Amino acid sequence: MSDETQRPHAPAVETRALWKTFGQGETAVHAVHDVSLTIGQGEFVALCGPSGSGKTTLVNLIGGLTDPTRGEVRVDGRDVGAMSEPERAQLRLERIGFVFQAYNLLPVLTAMENAEFPLMLRGVPKDERRKAVSALFREIGLEGLEDRRPGALSGGQQQRVAVARAVLGAPALVLADEPTANLDTQASDALLGIMELLNQERRVTFIFCTHDPRVMRRARRIIRLVDGHVERDAEKESGSLPDWVLEPVGAG
Amino acid sequence: MMERWLLIGRIALRNLRRQLRRSLLTASAMVLGVGLLMFVRALEGGAHLMYVDTATRMGTGHVSMEHPDYMGSQDLADRIAARDLALLLEAVATSVPPGELVALFPQVNVGGLAQSATSSVPVRISGVDPALESGVSFFAQQVVEGRYLEPGDRLEAVVGIGVAERLRLELGSRLVLMAAGAQGDLESQLVLVTGIFRTGIPEVDRGVVHLPLPTAREWLELGGDVTSVSVILASDQRTGSVAEAVRGRLTEEGVAGDRLAVRPWWEAMPDLYAGLRADAVQTYIMLLVLLAIVALAVVNSILMAVLNRTREFGVLRALGLNRRAVGAMVLVEGVFLTLASGLVGMLLGLALSMGVFGDGVDISFIFGGELAFAGSVMEPVIQPAVLAGDVVAILTIVIAIGILATLYPAWHATRIEPAEAMKTDE
Repeated sequence: MSDETQRPHAPAVETRALWKTFGQGETAVHAVHDVSLTIGQGEFVALCGPSGSGKTTLVNLIGGLTDPTRGEVRVDGRDVGAMSEPERAQLRLERIGFVFQAYNLLPVLTAMENAEFPLMLRGVPKDERRKAVSALFREIGLEGLEDRRPGALSGGQQQRVAVARAVLGAPALVLADEPTANLDTQASDALLGIMELLNQERRVTFIFCTHDPRVMRRARRIIRLVDGHVERDAEKESGSLPDWVLEPVGAG
Repeated sequence: MMERWLLIGRIALRNLRRQLRRSLLTASAMVLGVGLLMFVRALEGGAHLMYVDTATRMGTGHVSMEHPDYMGSQDLADRIAARDLALLLEAVATSVPPGELVALFPQVNVGGLAQSATSSVPVRISGVDPALESGVSFFAQQVVEGRYLEPGDRLEAVVGIGVAERLRLELGSRLVLMAAGAQGDLESQLVLVTGIFRTGIPEVDRGVVHLPLPTAREWLELGGDVTSVSVILASDQRTGSVAEAVRGRLTEEGVAGDRLAVRPWWEAMPDLYAGLRADAVQTYIMLLVLLAIVALAVVNSILMAVLNRTREFGVLRALGLNRRAVGAMVLVEGVFLTLASGLVGMLLGLALSMGVFGDGVDISFIFGGELAFAGSVMEPVIQPAVLAGDVVAILTIVIAIGILATLYPAWHATRIEPAEAMKTDE
C-alpha cells in the first residue's frame, strides 16, 4: 500500500468517505463505496479494476459530472459537492480537462477549434489561443491538420486533439477514461508519450481509468478498485507493472 | 463573453448544415405551411377588398355621412339639410388628401312601393346623380338590359332584375313609385324602365330601384336636401383617417353629432364588417391548426436532433458549458431553422400571390357565378392582395412557432447530465 504522507505535492484531488449509490432499497447498487483518496498535483495515476468496479463513476464524481450520494470530493482544495451547477461548470472549464474513450470531439468544429474550445469559452483572445494550440499541435504531431474536421482524422489523431483540448487551459487535473481503448499499439504509445511529457513538463495531474497494461506500466501510482472500493493503492516506478494488477479479483 | 455566444451560434448553425437532410425536410414543412398561410390570406384579403369595393360602390362609400338617426329610422325626417350639405361638401374637399378622392355623391334613399299594372313590391328607392356616380357606380356595371341612368334623364328608372320579373316589367314599361314625402304625405311618381341590372345579391336584385336625384328630390319635396353623402376613396387604407378628418372639420363647424354623423364603411355596414372579420378569424384558426401540425413536426425534428446528440451535449457540459448555454444552442438552432424557412415560406407566399397568381385566381369552377356575402358581392376571379397587417401577423406567428417549438427540446438539452459524455456505445 502507498504511504500518502510521503507525497510531496499539495493534493489535486481529495475524496473523503465517498459513496455513489444507484437505485434504492434492495435494488441499490453501490458503484462507489467509501472511497477516501488523496492525489497530489503532478501525479500520473492509473485507476484499474474489472468492468463494473466503479472506475468511471469515481472519475465522474471527481470531475463533478455527477453528485455523490455521500462523502466529499475536493478538487484543487474546493468542495465540488457544495458547488452550484454553474460553479461546477466553471470549475470544469478552468481546472479540469477530460479525455474520453470515444474521443468525443465536436464533429462540426475543426481540429483547431476543438482544441481551443475551452479557451474560447474562457474568453482567451484569438491570437493567444491560436498560438498556444499551434505550439502544442507541433509538439504532439498534429501540425498541418488544424483545419480538418474530426471525420477526416484517424483515431490516434482525434485522441491527440482531445488531449490537446484537455490540457490547453493549463488545468490542475486531467481525467482520462480509457483513452487508449480504441487505439492501436503505435497510436497508444504515441499518445501516452505525449501525456507523460505534458505531465512532466507542465506538471499536469493525470488520472486514467484503464484496463490497458501499457497505461498501467507508465503510471507511477496504481489504484485498483473492486466492487466500488479501493482494494490496492500503490506507487511504483514508471515502466514496471506489479503482479497484483493483473491478478484475478480477490487474489490480492 | 460575446465570443462565447458567437461560438454557440456557430456550432448551432453548423449542426443544421451537418444534418442537412433533416434540416431541409423540417424547413420544407415550414416553407409550405407559411407559404400556404400567406397565399390563402392574400386570396382572402383580395376577396375581402373586392367585397368592400363593391359594397362601397353600391352607395355607402368608404365614408358615409347621414343624419345621426337616419341609419336606424330610415325616415326622411332624419335627413341632411341643404345648408349642412354645403358645409359637408366643403369639409370633405378640405379633408381628403389630393388624389385620394374618387367620387363624392349625395343620394336620396327611401323605402317605398313599386307598382306596375300587374303587381306591387316593396323596394328601396335611390335618387342618384349619374353625372357624379358615373364610372364608380357598381350598378352601372351590372346593367344586363337597356342602360343605366345618364345625365339629363328625368323620368327614367333602373330596376333590379327581381323587381322586373315580379312586376313583369320590360324596357319602356311604366312603373309607379310610392313613398312618404318630406311632409309625411304619401307621394307617387311615374317612371319608365330604361335599364335592368343584375348584381347577384338576391335582396338587391329583388328590391332596388334607381331614379335621377333631381326627380327624387322634386317628387319627395326635399328641395336641396338629401339623405346621405358618400365618399369613394382611391384606397380603403385612408378610410379611417379621412372619416376622422371630416368628423373633426364638421365638429369645428358645429354640425357633427346632432345634425351629421360621419361613419367609415365598417360602421355604416356593421354586418359586412363582422362577416369579413369572422371570415378572417376562421381562416386564421384553420391555418393555425395547420401550422400547429407543422410546429409539432419542428418539435419532433429538433427533439430527435437533441436525443441523437445526447453524448455531444454531455461533452459540452463536461467541457464547462453550463445548462443555459446548452439550451441557448438548441434554441438558436431551432429558431434559426424556423425563422429562415418561415421567411422563405413568406417569400413563396408573396411569389404565389403577386407572381404566379398575380393576374387573379378564377374560383368560378367551385362556386359558379358571383358570390354574395353579407350584402355585397364578389367577382369569381380573385386578385390576391398581400396586406401589411397579414405580413406582420404571419411574421409574428413564425417567430412564435420558432420559439415555442424549440423550447421543449432546448429544455430537454439542459437536463442532459455531463456524465453522458463518459458513456460509450459498448
